[in-house]
Amino acid sequence: MGKTLKSNVRSHCVGTTAVVYASDYLNKLTGERIERECKKQLDSGARALVIDFSDTELVNSIGISILLGIIHIAEKNGALVVFSDVNEQTVHLFEMLGLTRHVVLAKDEQEALSRLSTSPAQSQTIGH
Amino acid sequence: MNQNRHKEARQILGRVKRDEFVGRSAELQRLVSHATGSGRLENAGHRDAGRGLLVLLAPPAGVSELLRQAYDELFNNREVVPIYFALPETETTAVSVAIEFLNTFLLQYVAFRRDEPSLCRLSLTLNDLVQLATAADLPWIEDLVEAYNRQRFGRDDRELVRFCLNAPNRVPPHYGRPFIILDAVRLANYSDSPVPLATEIVRSLTFSNLPFALAGLRREVLDAVARAGGNVTSLEVMRLEPLSEEDGRNLVTSAARRHQVVINDETRDLLVQQLEGSPFFMSALLQSAREKNLKLESYLACERLYVDELMGGRLHRYFSSVLEHVAPEPETRAAVVRLLCEAAPTGNRVASIDAWRKRLNLAGVEFEQLLRALHIQELINWDGEMVDAAGASSVWKDYLTSRFRLDALREPRALVVADVMADALKRAPQTVARHYRRAASPRLRALLGQFNLQRVPKRLFDFAEFASVYKGAAPEEVAAGLDADTELLRLPQVFHTASGVSFSPQLRQFGEESSVVAHAFEGLNYTDANEIVWLVAKVDSKLEADRDLTASWLDRLEGLARQSGFLRTQSWLIANEGFSAEATELLREHNAYGSSQQQLEVLSARLSEAAGATQPSEEANEFTLILPMGDDNELLAATTVEQIARRLNFSPEAINQIKTAIVEACINAAEHSLSPDRKIYQRFRVENDKLVITISSRGIVPPNIQGHIEEKRGVQLRPDDNSDEAQQRRGWGLKLIKTLMDEVEFERVDEGTSLRMTKYLRKSA
Repeated sequence: MGKTLKSNVRSHCVGTTAVVYASDYLNKLTGERIERECKKQLDSGARALVIDFSDTELVNSIGISILLGIIHIAEKNGALVVFSDVNEQTVHLFEMLGLTRHVVLAKDEQEALSRLSTSPAQSQTIGH
Repeated sequence: MNQNRHKEARQILGRVKRDEFVGRSAELQRLVSHATGSGRLENAGHRDAGRGLLVLLAPPAGVSELLRQAYDELFNNREVVPIYFALPETETTAVSVAIEFLNTFLLQYVAFRRDEPSLCRLSLTLNDLVQLATAADLPWIEDLVEAYNRQRFGRDDRELVRFCLNAPNRVPPHYGRPFIILDAVRLANYSDSPVPLATEIVRSLTFSNLPFALAGLRREVLDAVARAGGNVTSLEVMRLEPLSEEDGRNLVTSAARRHQVVINDETRDLLVQQLEGSPFFMSALLQSAREKNLKLESYLACERLYVDELMGGRLHRYFSSVLEHVAPEPETRAAVVRLLCEAAPTGNRVASIDAWRKRLNLAGVEFEQLLRALHIQELINWDGEMVDAAGASSVWKDYLTSRFRLDALREPRALVVADVMADALKRAPQTVARHYRRAASPRLRALLGQFNLQRVPKRLFDFAEFASVYKGAAPEEVAAGLDADTELLRLPQVFHTASGVSFSPQLRQFGEESSVVAHAFEGLNYTDANEIVWLVAKVDSKLEADRDLTASWLDRLEGLARQSGFLRTQSWLIANEGFSAEATELLREHNAYGSSQQQLEVLSARLSEAAGATQPSEEANEFTLILPMGDDNELLAATTVEQIARRLNFSPEAINQIKTAIVEACINAAEHSLSPDRKIYQRFRVENDKLVITISSRGIVPPNIQGHIEEKRGVQLRPDDNSDEAQQRRGWGLKLIKTLMDEVEFERVDEGTSLRMTKYLRKSA
């Protein structure tokens, strides 16, 4: 799968799972870009989203609120969301603000994909 | 250029030597700086050099020696041409005053130009001065005198007054810049003059480009400036307050030495306290002691002299002249004395203007002139409707009483003298004791003035709670215990304090210092809901204050609140040894606070410490950063704080927490503040064990932020679908900050918000 231009959000698809890469600073602007990309992927038939935070050093509360919005949209679309490669500090923030109740955290992209492949919901989705 | 030719202090107009002039050094320095322009902002430019200085004093403070000393210093340092003129003591006309001013101006100008100070003390005619003028000055001085001779035979007195008063403006450029020092303390003597002298003086000074100092009674000078159409705000103001205790002691010591009057520490302190720091009264008494060859080594000797002065000496002459000026007619004068004398002890000090009019039996203009004169002399406060006969010095009150008994009641003089002296002697130890008590204990008003939204242990306001934990504990234990105390009371921000006596004259019997009314705001917003008045009293009790005593004080304070129409109040009583169990119960029933002297001292120390801590110390390492809002500039703040935090060896985790907090704080500052300058002001203060970050912005405080500031609302952790998205984010931001940092507090600012965040360094982390 080809990756998008640098000015936009990087993403690629593995089957019906879209992997979207967050930038080094997750704020309103970058959060909205991720949101747009996720919506696009869901509209294109993605049944699961992996948001990868391997480049992300800092997040702010607006960025986090947008992530929550993405989770809600995914839920409405019957899609699972996995956050991968989230640094310890960011995990702490996600826990603090209750995000971890709504998403699965994975060590890295591979683990995320592998967990999704074994997820009943995903299998069911994939089976359709 | 400062020629500095005569740096030695030549005594010219000063009545005391420079080194004997004590108590007003700062004021003297300010006057001299004003004249030379050295005390102003560097960028103020030469245009500003023409600005005037109003020297405002409350009667009976003296000012002439200060002005004379300023004259001498300016004459000696040769930068400007000082011209000192005092309105004559004996009443005369505006025209003769103006002519005398012209003569004085030329005399002092010629003396300066010739550098012959002795000329200042001569009495010379204008023709004499023309003869003495230097060759360079001769043409313009001749012109001035010729013009004056033409003007003096004209029919317009006002024109002549103006001509004379404006004479300093005729000095050609580069011939020396005159600095007019005008002692207008006796300006009130000219209020009936056909030519309005006060107006002409103010106009001649303020319309001129020359710098000047106009000294006089504060109410009169401000009134004169307003009547003349002047703008007080464009003038500098120097207020002459009563001398501080230290300056008063220095003045008495210096004057006693100069007059060779023997005093001791006790009598020195008595004179300072009894004469209320008035340089005029203190100097007058010591001068009289010299003339009578008296030693002032005991209270008895001091009071004897005091009563002598009051009944027939300088003090008597001073007050008599004031009264004679205020009420020239003997009958009216007697009625004024009676009115003032009767008002003070009965507590009915405030009366309507109609009541005064009836008692004085005077017509409209005459009556108003009298009230105005009394008001200017500060013997009453008159607001146009009500007359308040309070205030004035206790020396004045002693004079008034003796005068009333002698003139109105026709009591034998010997009896009055004996009674006044007996009263003075009985009062003397109390006066000094009050002073010592005041000096020894933290002053309530000053303490309340320090209240500025600090959080302090609540136990400091609850004697029973405090005593149950700390009774018998060493000061260090108390300090440590209070440091660990988690139950805190947030003090209000006090913006005005006054003695309770100002609101309720009945409290005077307990002393001016015993009660304080402090107007304040709770929380950061200046709103009706936050407005509160603290009513504070020191209860005089050697043992724990009992229920009855406590009840009587609560009644007084609550009565004061009712009379004054205070809506929300907080009573706080302070008793030396605290309160009995029954009294404590009563305090709680009234929702009042009660503290012991020990608690008060601990509180005072903590507030002073906190105030000191906010001052930049040499060891403190402080950085400031101002960033425009937007463009992810919060990242610059985060990067900066990261570098600073590393220097303090914060752990990587803590650094990340600080960075996140600062990012959130910047977002908060930027969002919804309607900041006019769109800037975020950041201060990073590095201390030994902590990093204190303050993020400020101008603009408004959004209501949802207000909720956090007031700590009345919780923070929504889960976004509410029905609520505004930005509001959810804001809630999260503040929640994050509070979780990530050790201490978070909004500081009081007039505009916008200022968030202070502290992160402590934990070595083990």
